[in-house]
Amino acid sequence: VFLIPCRAWTQALPSVEGLVTERATQAALPGAAVTLKGSGRGVTTDAEGRFKLSDVPANAVLVISYVGYQTTEVPVAGQSNLQIRLDAVVEALDEMVVVGYGSVKKSSVTSAISKIENTILDQMPAGRPESALVGRMAGVNITQERSSPGAAPTITIRGPGSISASNDPLIVIDGFPGGSFNNINMNDVESIEVLKDASSAAIYGSRGAGGVIIITTKKGKQGKSRLNFNSYAGIAVPMVHGPENWAAGGQDFYDYTVRYINRDFAWTGGDPSLPLWGDDRRPAQYRVNPVIAEGNHNWEDILLNPEPIQNYSLSLSGGGKESDYYISGTFRDERGTIMNTGYRQYALRANVNLEISPRFRAGFMISPNYSERQTYPGGLQNLVKMPPFLSPEKQEDGSYLRPLDYWGSTVSSGVNPLATLEGTHNHTNAFNNVGEVYGELDLADGLAIRSSFGFNISYATTDNFQESRATNLNRPTGNAADSRVYNLINENVLSYSRDFNEVHNFTGILGASYQYNTSRASALAAEPGSFANEIIPTLNNAIISPGGSYTSKSQWGLTSYFARINYGYNEKYLLSASIRTDGSSRFGPETRWGYFPSASAAWRISREDFFKPVRFINELKLRASYGVVGNFNIGDFQYLGTIGDALYSPGGQLIQGQAQASIGNPALKWERTQSYDIGMELGLFNNRVSLVADHYNKLTKDLLYNVSIPAISGFTNAIVNVGDIRNKGFELELTTRNLIRDFKWGTSVNFSINKNEVTNLGGGVDQVINTHSRGMAWILREGQPMFSYYGYRQAGVIQTEEELGRVPVMAGQFPGTVRYDDVNGDGAITPEDRVMLGSFMPDIVMGMVNDLSWKNFDLSIAIQSSLGAKMYNLENLYYQGPTVSAFLLPVVEGQWWSEQEPGDGQHPATSLAALEYVGNSDYYLEDASFLAVRNINLGFTFPVPVVEKLRLSHLRLYLSVSNAFLLKSKGFNGYNPEGYTDNGIDGINSMPGLNNGAEPVSRIFALGLNANF
Amino acid sequence: NFYKTADDMDKAVLGVYSRYQSRMPRDWTLLEMPTDHLYMSSYRHIGGLEAINNLDFQPQNDIIRNFWQSTYNGIARANTVLTYLDVPDDYIGTRKEQLEAEAKFMRALFYFDLVRVFGGVPKVTGILSIDESRETPRAPAEEIYALIIADLTDAIQKLPGQEAMARGRATKGAAVALLGKVYIYMEDWENAYRYLEQADEFHYRLLDDFASLWKVANEDNDEVIFAMKYIENENGHLLSSDFIPYFGVEGVASSGLEVALLAWGLHKEYDPADTRKAATVAEYWKAPGSAGPEEWRPYVKKFAVPHSGRTSSGLDLPVLRYADILLLKAEALYHLNRPAEALAELNKVRARAFGNTSHNYTLADIASPEDFLDKLLLERQLELAFENQRWFDLVRTGRFMEELDQVEWSYNKATETPQVVDLDPRPHFKYFPIPQHEIDQASPGVLTQNEGY
Repeated sequence: VFLIPCRAWTQALPSVEGLVTERATQAALPGAAVTLKGSGRGVTTDAEGRFKLSDVPANAVLVISYVGYQTTEVPVAGQSNLQIRLDAVVEALDEMVVVGYGSVKKSSVTSAISKIENTILDQMPAGRPESALVGRMAGVNITQERSSPGAAPTITIRGPGSISASNDPLIVIDGFPGGSFNNINMNDVESIEVLKDASSAAIYGSRGAGGVIIITTKKGKQGKSRLNFNSYAGIAVPMVHGPENWAAGGQDFYDYTVRYINRDFAWTGGDPSLPLWGDDRRPAQYRVNPVIAEGNHNWEDILLNPEPIQNYSLSLSGGGKESDYYISGTFRDERGTIMNTGYRQYALRANVNLEISPRFRAGFMISPNYSERQTYPGGLQNLVKMPPFLSPEKQEDGSYLRPLDYWGSTVSSGVNPLATLEGTHNHTNAFNNVGEVYGELDLADGLAIRSSFGFNISYATTDNFQESRATNLNRPTGNAADSRVYNLINENVLSYSRDFNEVHNFTGILGASYQYNTSRASALAAEPGSFANEIIPTLNNAIISPGGSYTSKSQWGLTSYFARINYGYNEKYLLSASIRTDGSSRFGPETRWGYFPSASAAWRISREDFFKPVRFINELKLRASYGVVGNFNIGDFQYLGTIGDALYSPGGQLIQGQAQASIGNPALKWERTQSYDIGMELGLFNNRVSLVADHYNKLTKDLLYNVSIPAISGFTNAIVNVGDIRNKGFELELTTRNLIRDFKWGTSVNFSINKNEVTNLGGGVDQVINTHSRGMAWILREGQPMFSYYGYRQAGVIQTEEELGRVPVMAGQFPGTVRYDDVNGDGAITPEDRVMLGSFMPDIVMGMVNDLSWKNFDLSIAIQSSLGAKMYNLENLYYQGPTVSAFLLPVVEGQWWSEQEPGDGQHPATSLAALEYVGNSDYYLEDASFLAVRNINLGFTFPVPVVEKLRLSHLRLYLSVSNAFLLKSKGFNGYNPEGYTDNGIDGINSMPGLNNGAEPVSRIFALGLNANF
Repeated sequence: NFYKTADDMDKAVLGVYSRYQSRMPRDWTLLEMPTDHLYMSSYRHIGGLEAINNLDFQPQNDIIRNFWQSTYNGIARANTVLTYLDVPDDYIGTRKEQLEAEAKFMRALFYFDLVRVFGGVPKVTGILSIDESRETPRAPAEEIYALIIADLTDAIQKLPGQEAMARGRATKGAAVALLGKVYIYMEDWENAYRYLEQADEFHYRLLDDFASLWKVANEDNDEVIFAMKYIENENGHLLSSDFIPYFGVEGVASSGLEVALLAWGLHKEYDPADTRKAATVAEYWKAPGSAGPEEWRPYVKKFAVPHSGRTSSGLDLPVLRYADILLLKAEALYHLNRPAEALAELNKVRARAFGNTSHNYTLADIASPEDFLDKLLLERQLELAFENQRWFDLVRTGRFMEELDQVEWSYNKATETPQVVDLDPRPHFKYFPIPQHEIDQASPGVLTQNEGY
């Protein structure tokens, strides 16, 4: 009975026709490949998605493949007209996501993890890997504060929670915890995962509070060896204010200077109608030398210039049955847009894995990396502010003129910035190697043990030398510093994975980790001016200053044990729980051990039977997690009171006396962050639309924070565990595939909103105020974002003597100064009138990436936007002319000059004599919101026949523009809305949001080539 | 595990000096800035200085807070020495007593500063825990003075003379002179005279040339009773830069900080024949390397020794010098109704300043007790300008209300017009406000604010 149909099927059908459609939308798929299995014969579907094959055996199997869809096999089974439906590849769900100590299927993830795969991220001229990630992940805010070559951006994940113990995420490179993006080239990166919530980060215990970034580097794949060459070269163009925004030299500059000086003169009771030059009745400092009306040099234009960048990397990878390898080399060279600055990097990497027996695998990884960085003496404003009469011409003797050479006095004695830049030689050379050796043994079915030994070795040397012509003091200076850090880790992880009855999936790990870090640093400084000559810049040519020379040693250790179990029922109900305990040498014996538990669960509703009828939703997952992570980033040995040097020189002999430098606190313990996360993952229309939404609530407790204590104790602060900070937020990642045919268009949008709040300062204190010498304060106050601005509110400008007598003022005020808001209405301006003035933290951060392709062309556009942050733009005062310097028109126009010329009523006088009344109000607080097109990347992939002729397997040419467009807020006068020059949140005296001389960002045009052999 | 040996204790004592040494160069911001000696320039900004210049004393002022904090840090260092003094067992000879006396001398000096600036302050004589420090209230000024007297009395017993001590460390003579000065502030004229007179036994003398006091080469001289020692670029100070023009002074430094400038109110008081004028005041200036003529631009020259740019100067700064002691002795004698002897002491200082006795005062110049005080205070101004005496002198004599009501700052040489500024001194300014920050650190109600603030 059974044989008959069989025999029938072996007969050939004259032809088979069919229609190939997408299952979800029923849309026809033109261009799909239809092949007869085992024969090599095949056709492609026509514009209507139809195909026709002749002479098909009745029992044949057709293989239908189409990019972006699951390859499907269809038995002909004697039919001559087939309706074939293809499922879109749900890659997103099948891909693996690396978590700490293992990886899981994306569909099984129970916590908040963002993943970025390196498809073409290495083909944009980003410089550092972080820059390529900007705007691509919700809740991960990457800010490029300084735009000098090699400078590292700051990464903040879900808002800052620590005052003194760093908010940087832990960076794990191929399993090594404690790396840095300095150690990595984007070319070598396979993927980057960011563990955002505490439940995923808790497996890193005491170091997970700032979130965890896991970098996985490329491995060799089985098959023939592949040689990949990737290179780009281009030009970085600084995005400057432009000449139209500066007062021109000549008469314009002279007139502005006269107004400034006369205003000052009038305030001291002088008569501004006196001749400006050559009259003794006008004191010297209020005269204006006519020589400054000559010359028209725009120093911004002179100092900031387009410079080249280039990057070359070559990798060789491959593998056989028993081994795989990936070897790469990279050379990168970026010249800074400021003279004599730049960054060069040489890096190698080798990842090798061996299967020694079916049950034993081993491998190693090394990544030596050497870099040279050349920097300029900081604070760009000090260079750019040069007045237009100063010439950039080199004199015959090789020197440059100074402002003083024109005027003689009353003008900055500073040297010409070109002399500073030419005569400064600041170099940092760093060598670093992150590596690992491991062995992995299968003990039983599903049970394996992996032991590894990892290391991170860093050496850095800094050599600074300034020739006398580069310094205002006209004395050569020099110093040198060396440091070395050895960080060693041994990890042993037992892992188990098994399915029971096909529906119970169980995995677990049990591990132990031992990490030890030892560091040594030394520094030498020359006595200023003690160089015997300026030909030999090394310190053997100078007298060494005892006060500037030291060596230091430090060490810390961390012992950890951890366990995690994951359980999944039918890929429907997912549970995960972990616990880690860390013992750190940084805390006292009683408080050394910390415990960091976590638990998370997810429910894939879309796999429930009752949900099946809802066709358009192909994935719906709800998840919830809770976890505790820690922070141990304080200095070594802080739980002990320390003794420090206290210099004195009885009898003229310098002696290092001693004094207690800090109060000990043996009770010092971990900072703990508890966080909840509730998330939803939704996939619609075969994942044409996917959405991930998360709400989190993160409470950092027992802040390691340097609290103020009464000075009568002998100390002004002590590091204790007190206070809480909360970060609450919402994140959304929406990925859509808008067009999927010939013309493909995908969009991913992310949106995050974070609310930071100091919930408790502890110790009976409800606020801590830290005041800058220019008057602005940063406050920690319960109920407010940490380090909010705190100062007076400007209510206008005091226009006249009459008004001065009428309105509440501070002692010493005069007309032209700020009119303050008398908040408490007591008729006087006192410190009680200060109010909250906003925060350096943005309210909303957004990113959007559009990927388009058509035939062989592809285009990717990455956009980033940040809203609501405020910057204390102190650098403005350098451009307002108070020391006879360049005038930046937007911050000069509208000023109060005199009662007759009162300006627009919003811009107070900003002379040196009046600055006391400017910096302490919100006058310099500017809206740092922005929208930036961070990168546009247009590529052309050569068609296969052309590529084959060139004996290549892949060839892509690309044109890339970074920072193509930067839209800043109207009232923002800095170069870079992320250009903060303070060190961010770094202890109780932090002034985050302060800008004093951040460099402009560069627009980078680059042409690149990526070829596979 | 420090404080184990006599050498450790010696280093700890140096740590006490080190605190005074690092605080002292900017004491002028609190003690000279509010007086008629200085007015603020615009070139260098020190947070809170403008307010003090304008007699706008706020409890939030950073300068006041820093003064409090660093002074109590010094006291804590001294208390640490005294607490651990008995631990080492390797003292040789009288070294233990000497170290104890040095710590007590310095503690007295720190408290003397505090009680003059703030009135009564918390009396701390041991090591406080953080909790204890939150609960310690202010002690009355009398109690602080009693502690100072006890410490200095003990120090006088135990300190060796200058011959046995390195320059820059406390000596018996310094303790005697300081105790005499303390009694002046307590208006205990008998005791003041007793100790100031006793100071003469230590062979202090006025140098012949006032200007030679302010030269690095001549720092260890017989007029200095107690000074803070500095070495350029090693543990130097900024005072030499603070008063000199921003664009530098030829032969001194290529640039200065120009935080404050010489006020005409003091400037005009100098007699052209007074050698102290040229040593204290520079009237004309031109930028280093500039070809132009000298310009009228007065600045304080007293501490302007050659140093590296704006960086540290090695000029020692006297805490107590013999001229001060002579003038204090004159004051004590006058109050003890011995006007002729009082004038004799005053005239010693004057005769040195003018190089002869032609400008000496006679009893005929003193018509009333007020006249004597006028002359004495003027002499203290001219002699001790910028040595942090003026504010205290004005306060203890009750004259700051009238003297600071109207002051003269800059002076236009061509038009011969001074810049006259009206200030608003209030009686409660005799004490600076207790720093608000410290009130906030203490438990509520423990640290009280001075009256009027």
